[in-house]
Amino acid sequence: MQSRAECNFPTDRRGELGHGFRMSVGAHPGGVGEVNAALAEFAEAHALPEDLRRDLSVALDDLLANALSHGRTGPDPCSVTVEVKLDQERVTVIVTDDGPPFDPFARAAPDTTLSVEERPIGGLGIHLVGQLMDKVDYQRRDGHNVVVLVKELANG
Amino acid sequence: MQIFTRTSNDIHIVSIAGSLDSTTSPEAQKSLTAMLAGVKKVALDFSELDYISSAGLRVLLGAAKQLRASGGTLGMFGLNQSVREVFEISGFSTILSIYQSEAEALAAM
Repeated sequence: MQSRAECNFPTDRRGELGHGFRMSVGAHPGGVGEVNAALAEFAEAHALPEDLRRDLSVALDDLLANALSHGRTGPDPCSVTVEVKLDQERVTVIVTDDGPPFDPFARAAPDTTLSVEERPIGGLGIHLVGQLMDKVDYQRRDGHNVVVLVKELANG
Repeated sequence: MQIFTRTSNDIHIVSIAGSLDSTTSPEAQKSLTAMLAGVKKVALDFSELDYISSAGLRVLLGAAKQLRASGGTLGMFGLNQSVREVFEISGFSTILSIYQSEAEALAAM
């Protein structure tokens, strides 16, 4: 397993548009943990509202776990790139991977009215991402899957 | 993620601190499955739970099914706004008992 440091981009970039960080991780469960740890650190440094950071953590966890469960793992141990950008109005998260084309939002919403016994295990993650974020988008671009999540600060 | 247990009369109170996500769920599932064996009434204390993703919801669904199969009941209290939102979006708030406080959970169960 390659460590984050070996495949990482600079983790703290500051531009005129605001603040953010970008990191690449391997498509494995440890990679999901690294991303959420970096997000927590970033949220604390920039005093993001707690509930907004929690919503982002849930969305990132479900998005990345979904990618892993669909086997969208390239040979590159740093094949998933997560970019987080913060400006005065919103937090934008861009998740890019080099796996085969896969639109996570193309699936139908699960039936959330079923009882505990009837409920199949799984299928909820992407539904949560779509509901918790203010905007989600998928594009296939230059051989990569590009997923964009937007959370408005005013709604956080 | 850490799990602590205590009892109040015949109710087992299980506190889950930290996050319930794809990283911590396998361990949480293992611990909960062992803790729930032979137990009837379980109240989950979420006052130290930071956030829960669908991987965590799956663990709770498994726990609820395990308890129902043995005639037990599962309740929870201490949810923060984000955790509550996830429960509402997923529909879990209608199929699992959510209480406002520990006192309310203990009185109702």
